[in-house]
Amino acid sequence: MRNKTFVAAALLAAATMPLSACGSGDDPKRPVAVVSEDTSQKAATLLDKPFEKPDLVLTDTHGKKYDLRKETAGHPTLVYFGYTHCPDVCPLTLSNIAVAMKDLPKAERDELRVVFVTTDPARDTPAELGKWLKGIDAEFIGLTGDFDTIQAGARTLGISIEPTAKDKNGKLVSYHGTQVVAFSPKTDAGYVLYGEDATVDDYTKDLPELVKGENP
Amino acid sequence: MAAALAGTALLTGCGDSASGSGSAKAELSVHSAYIPQPVSDSMAAGFLTIENKGGAADRLTSVTSADAGEVTVHETVDGAMKEAGPLTVPAHGRLVLKSGGDHLMFDKLKRTLQQGQTVTVELHFAKSGGLKVEMPVKEATYHHTTGH
Repeated sequence: MRNKTFVAAALLAAATMPLSACGSGDDPKRPVAVVSEDTSQKAATLLDKPFEKPDLVLTDTHGKKYDLRKETAGHPTLVYFGYTHCPDVCPLTLSNIAVAMKDLPKAERDELRVVFVTTDPARDTPAELGKWLKGIDAEFIGLTGDFDTIQAGARTLGISIEPTAKDKNGKLVSYHGTQVVAFSPKTDAGYVLYGEDATVDDYTKDLPELVKGENP
Repeated sequence: MAAALAGTALLTGCGDSASGSGSAKAELSVHSAYIPQPVSDSMAAGFLTIENKGGAADRLTSVTSADAGEVTVHETVDGAMKEAGPLTVPAHGRLVLKSGGDHLMFDKLKRTLQQGQTVTVELHFAKSGGLKVEMPVKEATYHHTTGH
């Protein structure tokens, strides 16, 4: 499709079109439409068929063995897959949760487990992960370990990640999950998903329900 | 070199549509610029919108800042960030760098960025040359809502 005229009122959708019309060779993989907006205003996606908590035994930021199922059993738990060399979405997602948690009563906040599983274990050692998470919330749990184990665990939650690889300029490219999975303290099942555009307000509104295992 | 040649070809190709609709030059301005306070002391992301009121497209070819050893434009595709090629600012259109999508990536930061500070950035365009932008450092959860 050729776009001959650009009208002044061109919005975001139109603004991406010249890239496909004129951007020969530069950017063949750029999706033409990236916005799939939910018509409802809710950030939470309630799952008809909840996920089982992944059977992940990894290493925490203190270098100790951490069995996700055992350690978080009976606790409301948020699980997110990402990496510390991620400037945008990973710190934003965790910061949103950290800020929203401050509105919870202390007893409930103490019950909640926020687990960040690295997708880049080679760079995210326990020490690196610990240092980075401390900048967001010292209570957050950071897990690292064997990539294949992490990838398999993520896959059971419908989260697809790839190993860190070098791009053509020799820079390391890592992948983060696009969802936060909330597990119920009642069933230990992952029953609610949040996309990466969920805001502080969304989490602030929903956390009081999530910590009780109720539907947001 | 290849990028520069492709850029010339591109502008010629798109120039047809621009002629006759007002100015045949790009007229660029920047708004909604911000940097969320980073967690890392070496790396940060930045967001902004480049408006083009002119009748010709331009391309963002590079970005520099005295506060960072390196600034690159990244795009997020399927959860991975990749360095993007030069991005087009369409005639009578805009280029939006926003969270979850394309963004500036500051690497090798020379100081720790704190909320309330500003970072001076120079955007370099294929035709319009350099454009200086003051980017405020906002809270880590700052969310700029782009209207529809």
